[in-house]
Amino acid sequence: MSEKSVGVQEVTRSLADILQEKGIPISFQYGKAPEEMVDREVKREPTPRAKKLRDLYFNTYSSVDLEFPYWYTRKYMELDNEVPIVRRALALKHAFSHLTPSIYPGELLVMGKAHYYRGSFPMPWLSESFYVAKEDELYQEALKRGSASSGELSKFGSGGGNVTKSFGNVVSIAGKFGIRSEEVPALIKLAKQWVGKSVEDLGHKYEMMVPEYELKEKLMRSLICMFDSGFTLPQGREVINYYYPLQYGFDGLIEICKQRKAEVAGKADGDGITGMDRLYYYDAVIHVIEGLQTWILNYAKEARRLAGITEDAVQKREYEEIAETLEWIAHYQPRTFREALQLTYTLHIAVLNEDAISGMSPGRLGQVLWPWYEQDTEAGRLTKEKTLELLECHRVKFTCIDCFASTGVVGGVLSGNTFNNLSMGGLTKDGDPASNDLEKLILESAMSLQSPQPTLSVLYDEKLPEDFLLKAIECVKTGTGYPAWMNNQIGIQFLLSQYGPEGMTLPEARAIAIGGCLETSPCTWHPLTLNGKKYWIPGGAGQPTSVGVHFIANPKILECVLFNGYDHRLKEQIFPPHNRKLETYEELWEVYKQYYEMAVDALCKCNNIQHDIWRKNNMTVINSFLKPDCLEKGRHIGQLGYRYNATFNVESCGTINMVNSLAALKKLVYEDKKYTLDQMREAILENFGFKTAHEVGSFSLFSQVKKVGGEKYDKIHSDCLLANKYGNDDPYVDGILREYEDWFCAMCHKFESLYGKPLYACQISVSTHGPQGAATLATPDGRLAGTTYADGSMSAYPGTDRNGPYALFNSATVWDHAKSQNSQMNLKIHPSAVKGIEGSRKLLELTRAYMRRGAFHIQYNIVDSKILKDAQAHPENYRDLLIRVAGFTQYWVELGKQIQDEVIARTEYEEV
Amino acid sequence: MSQETLRHNDCLNFVAVDVTKGICRRTNELVLIDSEVCDCFTPLPKCKNCAFFKEDGQETIGTCTAEKNQPWTYKDLIAVTCEMYATK
Repeated sequence: MSEKSVGVQEVTRSLADILQEKGIPISFQYGKAPEEMVDREVKREPTPRAKKLRDLYFNTYSSVDLEFPYWYTRKYMELDNEVPIVRRALALKHAFSHLTPSIYPGELLVMGKAHYYRGSFPMPWLSESFYVAKEDELYQEALKRGSASSGELSKFGSGGGNVTKSFGNVVSIAGKFGIRSEEVPALIKLAKQWVGKSVEDLGHKYEMMVPEYELKEKLMRSLICMFDSGFTLPQGREVINYYYPLQYGFDGLIEICKQRKAEVAGKADGDGITGMDRLYYYDAVIHVIEGLQTWILNYAKEARRLAGITEDAVQKREYEEIAETLEWIAHYQPRTFREALQLTYTLHIAVLNEDAISGMSPGRLGQVLWPWYEQDTEAGRLTKEKTLELLECHRVKFTCIDCFASTGVVGGVLSGNTFNNLSMGGLTKDGDPASNDLEKLILESAMSLQSPQPTLSVLYDEKLPEDFLLKAIECVKTGTGYPAWMNNQIGIQFLLSQYGPEGMTLPEARAIAIGGCLETSPCTWHPLTLNGKKYWIPGGAGQPTSVGVHFIANPKILECVLFNGYDHRLKEQIFPPHNRKLETYEELWEVYKQYYEMAVDALCKCNNIQHDIWRKNNMTVINSFLKPDCLEKGRHIGQLGYRYNATFNVESCGTINMVNSLAALKKLVYEDKKYTLDQMREAILENFGFKTAHEVGSFSLFSQVKKVGGEKYDKIHSDCLLANKYGNDDPYVDGILREYEDWFCAMCHKFESLYGKPLYACQISVSTHGPQGAATLATPDGRLAGTTYADGSMSAYPGTDRNGPYALFNSATVWDHAKSQNSQMNLKIHPSAVKGIEGSRKLLELTRAYMRRGAFHIQYNIVDSKILKDAQAHPENYRDLLIRVAGFTQYWVELGKQIQDEVIARTEYEEV
Repeated sequence: MSQETLRHNDCLNFVAVDVTKGICRRTNELVLIDSEVCDCFTPLPKCKNCAFFKEDGQETIGTCTAEKNQPWTYKDLIAVTCEMYATK
């Protein structure tokens, strides 16, 4: 037993010890793990080139510079009174045209968001208040840094590439990004130029006019809701579309726009509201394309310069090839696989530089690039080895992508991840298996060059060939956590239901891909012609799905119900008091639903205003020429130019703790009447006699420590822990889940986005189960105050799924997953449980079994928990350790402690 | 925040990796930005090296006189892509 002395005679005990003593059957393991630490079975080495580039990444800080925001702001402020979309396009053109090109030795694919290797930049036109509020602090830090000792120069903080604190001439922003101290005054000056003009400020001005605004602010303060998407991440969790530049080249697109300008100039064509706007739209698109061309050609020029000064013949030739590639793709349709890969990557970065975006997914890239791969390999121009090397370089470039947003969003929601999800498999337009050899190479490259980006997803369909699926399983066994497995047919059903009213058909729905972690996204097919041969390639066709009401802390709402709308952590009345006695379970459930709807209503209205301000002044221009049907219609995203627009959603978090809590209340208070509601409330407020998670310094339930004298609540806590739990094929608690899902999925449709479309349910946690758990008192399921919620939406609470994976699957599929954009299940499996080819087959069968029950998603961490504990204690030995968190894979050392604790605590399956 | 000392990120032979270091094109080695520069130092076009840059009394901020409206700029802004850049 571990003991911790407090004072002279006081002895406190951890919950794990207490449970063991009492013989309560809750543990981290299902089955028995080997005593020794077991490493992952499948291990591959990357090519020397890619390894060198990845090693450079390992040694690189997240770094911020001001080039893009400076040039953008300079032009934007000069163009007062210009038509908004043209003003924005010219500002973007100015910014792209002035970025400093940085090319690193050994790179085959080039270009980046900013001039640092892992660079990014703030966008004060979205949100500037953080810098203005921190002005003094940042200035003081910059001054101090100016006199910092030389000994600090090479100091590397913990947290991988995160600049967790200031050092040397580097100032930390939000504990994540580093900026040179000499640039801080310019950052503040830039931010001040946007005061009163940013989406944040203008949105705030108008959202205050919403009658429920005060409630919305309280919901944000209490962390019942996690963030405002309008000015933090206005786009993302969607699938990009590379088709138009891949088909027509940039010069071709400019010609199309010029032609359309001439056709629409001065004509409304029956649309008295937006008809005339088409002229400005096409004019704006021409401007941004010209900006992108200059940006690409600046890199080509730099490559030529480097070729001129490089003596090494091989490196010199590589610089020349880079220049040739860029000089071609700046104008024309790519001719080769390498050119096509470079162009898709360039377009990706272009979109990410236009807005603060998390989760811009490349979609089914292996199918998009297939025409070039097929023709190059057939012609003998490309080998598998060369393709693998290029794909590994592609992984490094994607891993270098950083997203600069506010602290709460980058840390609390995203864990520093950017969620560029690459989908594979699925079906073709005609319903045939869509997987191909290039996708197998993408899997190979993800095994050899293990990195968080792009993360991978398999669109699982019964028609997919076994060898492809087994290749994907082999990749899972490397322990990277990818690919995740999404049910193609369930996703298609959801798409048809949500986007049918906008004209989606079954063949169109088959273009499905995943945006962000696991957001089912509407896509489409386009006919691409290469050297006279026609291919149908998939690509995104819908608005962002990162938008709407994000994220609602389900257990925190239940807490408010129990305490009459009052938040004891903040000591503030959040919801209006319901003043109900909650005498029956049905009454409790009724009030829960009322509070929930009240929250969604207030948040939805304010969110709509933020996004409305965004679309008026900050509309996307680049995405609005890439995605159908903007170019055809002459309309941008804000004018419903996209084909599918019903993408706003309500995201929930903590579902399983809420369901388990409802089950405990139903059983212990209402049916068995073992405790009164007041006794339950008292136990919750007293945290069942335990210290707080912050006091203990761990956010995992089982590490929590009892207060001296806390035994008073032992009995009630024990009963709460032993009450029916989700994940055991128990109809009592699973029935509650079913009732909740039926209500929740339907409830979301009652609310409308600014585009006049119904919202829908989105059920992923990303990393919010950490901070939202930290803001929640103890819950009736026995979870203690401040500890992390269960991850995802279908994962069991750690240690409570005691009957094996198939029982868990039965619980998870009591409801219809096609009613929601997604569901999320994480399973942690010990490497020895899936060893060898037999183990691979077992894992595939396990996945199949879950999919056949109608589930939407599952993903695996194949890891020995002992390694994770060792990595937490000795992070310096685990710089390259990857782990699956919620819908994403991240380097262990770049995760916050809340999430690390939660991943360690997840039930480890020793057999499948 | 003194600008008096030459840094590696003022040199054309240097490509920045992050806010602390970069690669020297001549040696292909990683070097710290704030470490001493060598004899091969070649000035990188930055606003502070431009004939159109005018000091305005602020430590790191100045004015770009190349444009009519004379926008503000900052000394360390890299100007390799600026069409108006003119070496002092």
